[in-house]
Amino acid sequence: MMLLAKAALTVGGTIVLAGAYAMREGVIRIDVDEYRAGGSHVHMWVPAAAVPMVLHFVPTEHLRHVSCDARQAMPILHAIVKELKKYPDTEFVEVDDHDEHVRIRTEGARLQIDVDAPDQKVHILCPLSTIEDITIQLEEHGPAA
Amino acid sequence: MLNRYKVLFAGAALIATTVLLLSPLSALAQATAAPAGSSQSTTSVSKDRWLHVRVISSDAKGETVRVNVPLELAEKVLPAIHQDRIHDGKVKIDNAHVNDVDLRALVDAIRTTKDGEFVTVQSNDCDVRVAKQSNHLIVHVLDKQNSKKSEVEVKVPMKVIDALFSAGKDELDLVAALHALSAQGDTELVSVKDHENTVRVWLDSKNITD
Repeated sequence: MMLLAKAALTVGGTIVLAGAYAMREGVIRIDVDEYRAGGSHVHMWVPAAAVPMVLHFVPTEHLRHVSCDARQAMPILHAIVKELKKYPDTEFVEVDDHDEHVRIRTEGARLQIDVDAPDQKVHILCPLSTIEDITIQLEEHGPAA
Repeated sequence: MLNRYKVLFAGAALIATTVLLLSPLSALAQATAAPAGSSQSTTSVSKDRWLHVRVISSDAKGETVRVNVPLELAEKVLPAIHQDRIHDGKVKIDNAHVNDVDLRALVDAIRTTKDGEFVTVQSNDCDVRVAKQSNHLIVHVLDKQNSKKSEVEVKVPMKVIDALFSAGKDELDLVAALHALSAQGDTELVSVKDHENTVRVWLDSKNITD
């Protein structure tokens, strides 16, 4: 009985520790709802720390392919994110008309993009450090690397 | 006795891991609760210079656009853009002669000239005024056509114009212009008012629009 309790404690502790490690950088939250026939409905919560880790397991040729496609955008994105981390929570872009709203803001070192339109809703929340990690990894696998 | 210590140690380990797990979860809870509750951004008044653009449309859709950009961010990001005519924070213009006007010569002439009015046009259709005043180039246009008037006022510090034309021939140095702009005090750069839209571009040290 004691042995079983110890084993359960070890497994439980490992799961809790792994969970705590995975959640240490917060989560990436993606919600997409398209209000049309056959429209997508995507709701995703992913531990932010897991994404750069998962990228290590993506085959190099696939990463190189993505890096090639995004080679012009990556340095810009990297520069933006690196700079954004220096500023306090700010609303960078805000567009409102009577039925459409777009917001791009930073909040608590996370980039938040909200689009509310009659035909679709998109909400993205991603830690800036995760975007930076991803851009660094993709740049490392770029054509010049 | 030894077993009691083992149980105590296991208990302490469980508590520690629970605390470790709960700390990011509580941060997560705050993160998800915050957007609904906080409609205003944190106001920052610091040495950072912010460029603000605000467009308010008074048509049926009532569109409003607000953009707040830290000048330093723009300075750092622009050199990373390499597309079409923009490279290393500089934008290529076909040649410095736009519509047969030598822009560089014109800027040199304005720089060396004392304050004064360069162009004044007053007609039934519109009034135009181009002047240099307190080291600022001012362009003011009042369109009187139709019953609905529209007014445009552009006020650019001369140092910014100098910096803009400080690159090589046929190039405008955007980064140098932004750098020069960041050294300026709070100022309104562009103001456009017509019967449908109000546009304002200004510079200050706050990260929110008024």
